[in-house]
Amino acid sequence: MKEFHLHTGPYIKDKNRTSKMMFHLLIALIPIIIFSFIKNGVIPFVKDKTDFIGLIYPLIFILISCLTTILTEILYVRICLGKKGHNLKTYIMHSYSIFPGLFLALVLPINTPIYALIIGGIIATIIGKMLYGGFGNNIFNPALIGCLFVMTIYGGVISTNGGYLNSYEIDTISSATPLSNVALVDGIGTYNTLVRPYGSLWDFFLGTIPGALGETSALFCILGFIYLTITKVIKWKIPVIYVATVFAITYMIGSMHGLGIWYPLFQILSGGLMFGAIFMATDPVTSPTTPIGQVLYGLFLGILTVIFRYLTPYPEGVLTSILTMNMFVFILDRIGSKARFNFNKSILSFFLAWALILLIGCYIGNTFVKEDETDNKDPNFEIVSKNVVDKVVTYTVTQKGFSGKIKARIVIDDGLIKTIDILEQNDSYFQKIIDANYIDKLIREQETIEKVDTISGVTISSTAVKKMVINTLADYKESGYAE
Amino acid sequence: MPGQKIPKFKDMSITDKIKVYNKPKYVYIPLICQNDTNITVAVKKGDYVFKGSIIGKRKGNFRIPIHSSVSGTVVDFEEKLYLNGEKVKCVVIENDFKEKIEDGYNIRKKISDLTKEEFIEIIKNCGIVGLGGAGFPTYVKYNTNQKIDTLIVNAVECEPYITADHMIIKEKCEETLEAIDAIMEINNIKEGIIAIKKGDNTLKNIINNFIGTYLRIKLVEVPNLYPMGWERELIRRVKKVTYNKLPIEKGIIVNNVSTIYAIYEALKLDKPLIERVVTFTGEMLKQPQNVLVKIGTPASEVIEFIEGYKRNKDIKFIAGGPMMGLALSSDDLIISTNLNCVLVVKDTIDIPPIECLRCGKCVQVCPAKLSPVLIKDRINDTLRLKELECERCVECGLCSYICPSKINVREYVKKAKAHVRGEVN
Repeated sequence: MKEFHLHTGPYIKDKNRTSKMMFHLLIALIPIIIFSFIKNGVIPFVKDKTDFIGLIYPLIFILISCLTTILTEILYVRICLGKKGHNLKTYIMHSYSIFPGLFLALVLPINTPIYALIIGGIIATIIGKMLYGGFGNNIFNPALIGCLFVMTIYGGVISTNGGYLNSYEIDTISSATPLSNVALVDGIGTYNTLVRPYGSLWDFFLGTIPGALGETSALFCILGFIYLTITKVIKWKIPVIYVATVFAITYMIGSMHGLGIWYPLFQILSGGLMFGAIFMATDPVTSPTTPIGQVLYGLFLGILTVIFRYLTPYPEGVLTSILTMNMFVFILDRIGSKARFNFNKSILSFFLAWALILLIGCYIGNTFVKEDETDNKDPNFEIVSKNVVDKVVTYTVTQKGFSGKIKARIVIDDGLIKTIDILEQNDSYFQKIIDANYIDKLIREQETIEKVDTISGVTISSTAVKKMVINTLADYKESGYAE
Repeated sequence: MPGQKIPKFKDMSITDKIKVYNKPKYVYIPLICQNDTNITVAVKKGDYVFKGSIIGKRKGNFRIPIHSSVSGTVVDFEEKLYLNGEKVKCVVIENDFKEKIEDGYNIRKKISDLTKEEFIEIIKNCGIVGLGGAGFPTYVKYNTNQKIDTLIVNAVECEPYITADHMIIKEKCEETLEAIDAIMEINNIKEGIIAIKKGDNTLKNIINNFIGTYLRIKLVEVPNLYPMGWERELIRRVKKVTYNKLPIEKGIIVNNVSTIYAIYEALKLDKPLIERVVTFTGEMLKQPQNVLVKIGTPASEVIEFIEGYKRNKDIKFIAGGPMMGLALSSDDLIISTNLNCVLVVKDTIDIPPIECLRCGKCVQVCPAKLSPVLIKDRINDTLRLKELECERCVECGLCSYICPSKINVREYVKKAKAHVRGEVN
């Protein structure tokens, strides 16, 4: 008797499997991990800024993060879902729990305390992934949920530890990340303020600038993108459109101020945009499945990133844009699925996107002022009043800080600062400036005031105070009160 | 771009010539046409029938006849396994091996002299239906007032393993071309196109050898993708047009090669559709090849005739190709006009499906432009399923083929389709 087996067809299947795709993803991330190790471990070690632990610290950091998410998931499945033995093993095999941890480590600054990293990993796994029903069912990108949590709760601690700067950069680079500089100048900025402090755009492309562990190198992100596109692992439309949109809007803003091509390039090469677009926005589970949906997703990600960067005090923008757009994936897919039969069904959304791009470009381009390079006057600095008695001048001045203006009274006698009194400020971390005796230090070292280090954690405000003093001194000198 | 390159497995069944098997002791002519079992039976037990005698006629709109494929005596009516996995009522005829024909074949010398009415009458009375798998009555396509501009002959045969059309062109190229030319002449069609796969040089060379005398017939190569042989996709590629319901809207008729050859025999000899070329193939057959078999022959007999199976255990017996076919529990399958392939393969252990990754590959490849992953998500939400237009599905199986999580996506879409239809009725 012959035996024939029954199955529903098709009876041939593609050799590609989810595990294979995940393997490709891992391969694409390895150069980025190695680069991060070299930048944050090897270089500081070679320059004698750190010890052996510091050398392998980036790798330990990534490893701990991965282990956290894997272990959390095993425990969760074991305890909350009650799976044991073989069931547990197959579940874990197909849930790829290493990735939230790996991505989390790569988007956090090196100065994140280990306990914060572990808590972030647990949050990423449980809140970002398992509560939705595990792999394939989550709405938000788990790693970004973890990252958001860590940055919100432990942002201050991380800043105190040195923020995004590794032990080598802390001595060579004065201000935090390139994009926090953007927030500082409250204008469009110039090549000198935005790019020069970190070298050239070439450094931005290679990734030798401050930033999160794995997201600085555009070069390796692009190599990963090419690899993943050839192996058909990621939805290539999303990163291409995303980056192109940010480029287009910032190009528009830049050209309104006569800035060159460097300006949009600076924008797309900083703030983890490349890494976010290529690895986070394309997370298959949380991005649209339909082609039109993917295009719209990319467009709106770009628009949101620009909005977050220019119009909110949070300069990075990529993380928040992706998490925001995650919520709209089902709508985009709905539009996308209809548009497959009739493209006109998606016209309205495209129209909205184009309109927003134009609107935001024009709005930001017109309202933001450009720093004037020939005139050294700082647009953020304002003299409210000055009281001149012989050579003693009492200034009341304001300078734009992290949140709102910082108002101070500065008394200068014969070209030397006597007192600085902060009258008003809104920065909740301002106490740190006071704690650090920063103001006394400014008075003490006023001859070499440019070299006074800013306070990490309140970088923006401390820089503002410094600038305020410098600007006031300049005014005193210009007005010729000393003569 | 919809469509996907998939492995072909065609080489194993094209080495031998088409073999003929005409010695079944009994034939079981299925009383079914396009899944319609509403057939008037014209014979009763004990009747003597000639080869080509009408034994039944379909009721309803498309009244095409069903013919006996042997001469002999009607002995019984029996339920037999049909290619859709169900049992279908069949007329059992005992073969007397005399191959007697009622009127004898009268060979028509010049088939292009027929009028359009005669042409339609002949292919209707000969019971010609589409042999590609759908089984749609061919005369209906031509019986139209609309101007027919283009005849596309589908020689793409995009499904893996199947080589029946390939072998017919290889062995009957001249006849096929003559039939195409005649059809064009009779129906006043200006353009004839034979569509073959890009890179199929064997076919290309054979056709090019003969095509020289037929100036109106062109050879067009289409990309080697699945499901390129699907009418809609083929027309989109060849003519760059899309249509709403039927290709005739754009003045196009598509016939596949086997059907054209059946039309040739009908026009030339008034020979009804009583036999066809079926590909018997797969790794688990000793000698995969194409066989010309009488309609109603049990597949098991043919397999025995071509040396049988390599092994009797852990194999799958599939009616149709690997993508769209159906695995059956027995090889007692009756050869019907719409069966183009019998496939016997190893029973590989099916990889258990895992959670959907939402990679969107099924959306990307779907030739009907569906979004299978979204259909799967909303399997119980009829309103949304209607919006997703899941009734467009042609069940080509590409979504299940491509799925990296090994989910049988097609089954979900089929279920959704049934769901929506159930709601409508």
